[in-house]
Amino acid sequence: MNIVKLELLKLKSKSRGWLGPILVFILIMVAFPLTIEVSNKELGQSFFSVLWIAILLVMMLATEDIFLEDFNDGSLEQFAISDINLSYLVGAKIFIYWLLIGVPISFLGSVFCMGLTNSIYLASHLFPILLITSYIFINVFSFGNALSLTKGSVLGTLITLPLLLPLLIVLGKAVISINLNLNYLGFVTLLLGVLSIIIFIAPLIISYIIRAHLE
Amino acid sequence: MYQVSRAYPYIFYFSLTLYLLSIFWGLFLTPEDFVQGNSYRIIYLHVPASFISQSLYMAMAIASAIFLIWKVKLSVYLVRSIAPIGAITTFIALVSGSIWGLPTWGTWWVWDARIVSTLILFIMYLGLISLHDSFSNHEKADKFLSVLVLVGSVNIPIIKMSVEWWSTLHQPASITISDKPAIDLIMLYPLFGSIIGFTGIVTCLVILSSKLQILKRERNKSWIKSYV
Repeated sequence: MNIVKLELLKLKSKSRGWLGPILVFILIMVAFPLTIEVSNKELGQSFFSVLWIAILLVMMLATEDIFLEDFNDGSLEQFAISDINLSYLVGAKIFIYWLLIGVPISFLGSVFCMGLTNSIYLASHLFPILLITSYIFINVFSFGNALSLTKGSVLGTLITLPLLLPLLIVLGKAVISINLNLNYLGFVTLLLGVLSIIIFIAPLIISYIIRAHLE
Repeated sequence: MYQVSRAYPYIFYFSLTLYLLSIFWGLFLTPEDFVQGNSYRIIYLHVPASFISQSLYMAMAIASAIFLIWKVKLSVYLVRSIAPIGAITTFIALVSGSIWGLPTWGTWWVWDARIVSTLILFIMYLGLISLHDSFSNHEKADKFLSVLVLVGSVNIPIIKMSVEWWSTLHQPASITISDKPAIDLIMLYPLFGSIIGFTGIVTCLVILSSKLQILKRERNKSWIKSYV
């Protein structure tokens, strides 16, 4: 629990780390309607494509230095040789990032959805999907950034983005199902299934990678 | 390595002959397709390339698991040498699919689950090469490469099943283990021949590339000096 608190304090004290990605997300969502001079209905149609890409981009930016500062100041090395399980620390870090960045962005995504599609139904059903998706994205990008820890986030993104693209197809299908009032719970269950695997496996793999970096 | 060096020219020439014969059979001795006309004949390049591009990734995943579990260095050399060959075969699959798409679908490219997932596979191969090449410490690079290959292997069933799971322009597989082939036998035999021949050619390229990789990575070892 102390590690979770410590990570929370660390991220909270660094407003660039958590507020920056949220503001970038707002800017993208505000900027995109300016580029299309069409009726509100058509805006709603292109909204979801922009939303998923914006979330991908923002999560990528948010997790860019998730392990880098701790790696550079030696904290990760201290954790690695201490009694604390490194995968527990990684899991806590990812959870805090989701709590401070993923949850607000999911909420804002739903708000923008309501504003641009004029549908409370769509926005309220989108919110849980956004919550699950943002957690998956943070886990996967953390994995990529752990691999490219000292090599910059471009490499991390290049190697992890392809892993997320099949998920975008599922998200697209889920939104279509909600839009058409069809049963979309199958997609939510699939996303939850993916999340429940990633949530346990990602910290283990990332801690293995970090140990390899520290060798 | 000595036995492999002796064996692979025979495998290569046998596979090349088989592939060329199958191509000749497929291009000149099989009849025109009722629906697609002559354009279907690109199947003798497209199907082997697609099959190999996915199979090579699975081979990399198995080799990566062997490296991570049993620390067998040769298996990670194999992974590194397969990556560029996998990228080339995936590229061939994409280009030949595109050429086949024009007369069949009326377009070079569609944003279709199977096609996009194959493009993702191509980018993944390039990503693996970039990751490995960006570390000067080979031991670290080997570990990271193996982890990424294993994690990325989740995409292979998605590519394979994309034609079943999503409504797509791309036709489902013509040959499956459980069902009767959806393709006529006269077209099927050269297709089998081309798949086996292409697999043999690519296997030889993998052997050659692995050999180069071993020589490069073990160049400071005494056994290499005595071998060379």
